[in-house]
Amino acid sequence: MKRPQAQVAVLQAADPDESRRIDDVAEAAKLKPETATRAAFELGDDGLLAVTEEPVEQYTLTDEGTQYVFESLPEQDLYEATIDAGADEGPVGMGQVIGASGLDGGAVDIALSNYARKGYGEIGSGEITADPDAKPGQDPEMYALEAVADDRIDEADPDALAQLERRGLLDVREETVRSVQLTEDGVAALEAGVEAAETVDQLTAELLTSGEWEDVEFTEYNVEADAEDVSHGTEHILRQTANRVKDTLVGMGFREMEGPHVDAQFWINDCLFMPQDHPARTHWDQFALEQPDEITALPEDLLDRVRSAHREGVGPDGEGYHSPWEEDVARGLDLRGHTTSLSMRYLSGHRTHGPEAGSSESGSADPAIGELEPPQRFFSVEKVYRNDTLDPTHLLEFFQIEGWVMAEALSVRDLMGTFTEFYEQFGITDLEFKPHYNPYTEPSFELFGTHPETGAVVEVGNSGIFREEVLSPLGVDCDVMAWGLSLERLLMLMYGFEDIRDVHGTLCDLELLRTTEVLH
Amino acid sequence: MPVVDVDPDELRYLTGRDGKDDDELKSDLFDLGLEFEGWTEDDEFQLEFAPDRLDRLSVEGVARSLRYHYGDDRGVYVPNTNSPEWTIRVEDQPAGRPYVTGAVVRGLDLSDGALESLIQLQEKLHATMGRKRAKGAIGVHDLTMLKGTDLRPTDGESDTPDLTGGQDPTEASEEPPDELVGDAAVEPVGANAITYASADPDEAAFVPLESDAEMTPNEVIRNHATGQAYGDLVADFDRVPAIYDAIGLFSFPPVINGRRTEVAEDSRDLFIELTGTDQWTIDHMCSIVCYALEARGGTIERVNVEYADDAPGEYAGKTLERPDFGTRTKTVSKDRIESLLGVDLEPEEIIDYAERAGLDAKRVVTDGGVAFEVEIPPYRVDVIHPLDIVDDIGRALGFNSLEPTYPDVSTVGGRHDRSVLEDAARDTLVGLGFEDLLNFHMTNEAENFERMGLSPPGATEPASGDNSEPDDSLVGLVEPVTIQEPYSEDYTILRTWALPSLLMVLENNTHRRYPQDLAEIGLAARLDDSENTGVAEHRTVAGALARTDASYENVKARLQAIAEAFGKDLETPATAHPTFIDGRAADIVLDGETVGVIGEVHPAVLLNHDLELPVAAFEFRLDALA
Repeated sequence: MKRPQAQVAVLQAADPDESRRIDDVAEAAKLKPETATRAAFELGDDGLLAVTEEPVEQYTLTDEGTQYVFESLPEQDLYEATIDAGADEGPVGMGQVIGASGLDGGAVDIALSNYARKGYGEIGSGEITADPDAKPGQDPEMYALEAVADDRIDEADPDALAQLERRGLLDVREETVRSVQLTEDGVAALEAGVEAAETVDQLTAELLTSGEWEDVEFTEYNVEADAEDVSHGTEHILRQTANRVKDTLVGMGFREMEGPHVDAQFWINDCLFMPQDHPARTHWDQFALEQPDEITALPEDLLDRVRSAHREGVGPDGEGYHSPWEEDVARGLDLRGHTTSLSMRYLSGHRTHGPEAGSSESGSADPAIGELEPPQRFFSVEKVYRNDTLDPTHLLEFFQIEGWVMAEALSVRDLMGTFTEFYEQFGITDLEFKPHYNPYTEPSFELFGTHPETGAVVEVGNSGIFREEVLSPLGVDCDVMAWGLSLERLLMLMYGFEDIRDVHGTLCDLELLRTTEVLH
Repeated sequence: MPVVDVDPDELRYLTGRDGKDDDELKSDLFDLGLEFEGWTEDDEFQLEFAPDRLDRLSVEGVARSLRYHYGDDRGVYVPNTNSPEWTIRVEDQPAGRPYVTGAVVRGLDLSDGALESLIQLQEKLHATMGRKRAKGAIGVHDLTMLKGTDLRPTDGESDTPDLTGGQDPTEASEEPPDELVGDAAVEPVGANAITYASADPDEAAFVPLESDAEMTPNEVIRNHATGQAYGDLVADFDRVPAIYDAIGLFSFPPVINGRRTEVAEDSRDLFIELTGTDQWTIDHMCSIVCYALEARGGTIERVNVEYADDAPGEYAGKTLERPDFGTRTKTVSKDRIESLLGVDLEPEEIIDYAERAGLDAKRVVTDGGVAFEVEIPPYRVDVIHPLDIVDDIGRALGFNSLEPTYPDVSTVGGRHDRSVLEDAARDTLVGLGFEDLLNFHMTNEAENFERMGLSPPGATEPASGDNSEPDDSLVGLVEPVTIQEPYSEDYTILRTWALPSLLMVLENNTHRRYPQDLAEIGLAARLDDSENTGVAEHRTVAGALARTDASYENVKARLQAIAEAFGKDLETPATAHPTFIDGRAADIVLDGETVGVIGEVHPAVLLNHDLELPVAAFEFRLDALA
């Protein structure tokens, strides 16, 4: 009979007459305990060994316990000090005794409570007495402590052991001890002769090319055991969500926009027909820049048309705002509060980067962008900045999903259809359109949808059809409908996160990023 | 979004719908776009709504909208107004606040919450349309406490009030000269005047609200709580806005009224004045207030606003009668209504929806076909274009009753080149085992420079004789974009590079399992005069290995893999960069161009971030991989 080397060694080390502990068998067989255990189980499965298991308590001293073995228990020290102070004659001051005992910190409390418990004396009103008959030198707990340290556990008093565990000086763990004994089959096998088969751990190039692999036995592994942790890279969960949104929109015929994060208020607000004295235009809501503070150039003709839309309105019955409008304000630079600034640049046909980005002669940076003819669909999933208070659902920077459709004669029904289609891709259904107000769209709608998991009705975006006061200065004479929502909001809906700060930003929790399940 | 507190009992009373319970009211209000946010301490509804319908900033306005919603009211309503008995004379008023308007309202009962509602409306209008009183401010006075200046011509007596105040009230009108008694009886119209003028802030004096002592405007600004809150509005004025009657100064707009004319629940007749920087705005604020008071049973009486010939502003020499309840008319074509709503409508339907929205519509035929002339009441300050009428019609029709359609428009989608490249680079980093991160673009100088071992540019003056340009070759060490009046000192600049963000993440995750191999592709920015915005923005690729065996060789191996994946020729000539250990840092040169830096992070930088293991890192421009 051929058996792997470890099994042969265990068989030879086992005894037919008495059960031997696996550790002893392993030592005799010169095997690692886990190797011997595995071999024993395999032999057990084949009926050559009987494997038995019994629970055994294992005693280990804690660091504190070990320390007392070499020194003494704090209450013993205290007793010694009280005797020296003459407390066996009558009460003495506590402070004096403790000072003399050399105890400090937590040891004082430990000493005092055990001193009283063991009846070494009495403690009260800042004074301490000592019982002259107490015998700290024969303390059973100290004796038990030393017994554990010297591996003479049988000599220790069980009550003292329990007390040591309560005092945190001793760890008691229950362990399973396995023992093996040769069965009759095992004895028979040994008598018939058992040889060690040649086993190999690692398949090597040499084994393969020489053909030797045919004559060897491969060591069996414990295939159920956990392997070591391997770190793996993952794309950031918010990026994954952004890319899913991008893929969805590309599939729906949208092209991606690109443009500056720092931009003039002109592109961020004025083109959007936001009155210059609008409360949301103060620096409490948007980040104005200290340096640089002004755009170098704005397209003059567009500037004039936007000024006129604000002051006089658009069309014979347009009124405009009864608010001041100053070019200086329009030239001020902000971190964009929304990516609609990109939509404005694209709709106007002006390029987004480079020194001539402001002049009307320059055409477009992106060769595909120029004067846009309907129909068009564009989107972006990019960062915006709001001077808000940081809390679990609000960040100073977040991603805005922005999309717009340009076509002749668009209706609010087209808007509803487009957004219904988009949100269904993310499991958000039963879209409701709540009439709303934005300075730049009319009609405007807040979008509400049903959460795929909780069934709750949640706000999922803001939308509308751009006003003529927005489109006419840009030179657009068809309809453009647009919508926006925060990517973080979509992410929180999809994954059920409660604090966005765990995900986005330098306070992020790497463990959360590593372990978040992949959505597919 | 504005919030208005509304007593549901008042709402039932003003709409005449006693049978509506609270839940029904909430639901009806939601249909109008007024969302119930909660109860106030006084058991009132807290309603939130979009900031267009400023006529709904009081219970009276909300009730009016509900009555239209219920169909109890239809079409435009314009209250009757009586002829003016009072005049606001405007002369020598501050050029920085040239406009004034007003109204008289008589026969009010301000008990049972009506006064509170008026005060709320005043405050909410200040906050919204009045732009925190800068653009328009409302003062409400008890009319019986005002003593008008007699406007009737007298022989040898000036009709100008004594602007220094202190005139004996008995002189002016209680004992008029005998010869004019007959005329006054025949023609009382415009017989009383107050004056909107200006005052020396250190000389004029009156007793302001919530005070017992006489104060000058400057004393009010310094010592009175309301003055401290609104004094900034007149800080640049040599002479401050002031309103006088025959007795003297009684209002210091837009800051505070005088105590003498304070309105109480038993006030029956009110004088309302508004001052501001735009006549249209204050006239319409005035209309909204008057509509609310008329709904409370008040009778509106017009006042004359008489601008002196040399008064600042565009109305010099003109006399206006206010409030102006004149309606406006806008024309919108049937085609436009139908195309925007996506439905065909009969003219009668359009007229019906308009009336249900509190508008009046008349069918007309124009060159462009059938259209509607729509009349708009004065409180509808949000209607500034015919499109706004289409929205009203859509709301009356019920937008949610419309069937969604997918637009029959074909376009081809696609990603921007930059974002395609970014994704490809990110895939490569993730494939190399990096955890992809996403950090804030805003940071501060300490994180971006100092904790990375760099001195912020411009922090130290260059030594004399050293007239070299700032060292552009150091990645990260460039002039940052700075934020005005930063809200938090953690966020004062845009980052110039991304490696500081990675080190911050490492710092915040020392309790987590290692190795921590982190990467980010994101925005970095710097000042650049040659750009339209004065800012050069670029995407940067940063990677860091935080592990016990992190080394230059380890991190370069990964950089090599990236360069190879994108077909770029990589060279790494030695360089010096304070963030990295001397002799273990190199420039990243891709296809002959220096685009970044790589090295082992300096121990001092690691300790700055409480890290107890080595970190090796790189950073380079994304466009170098294009």
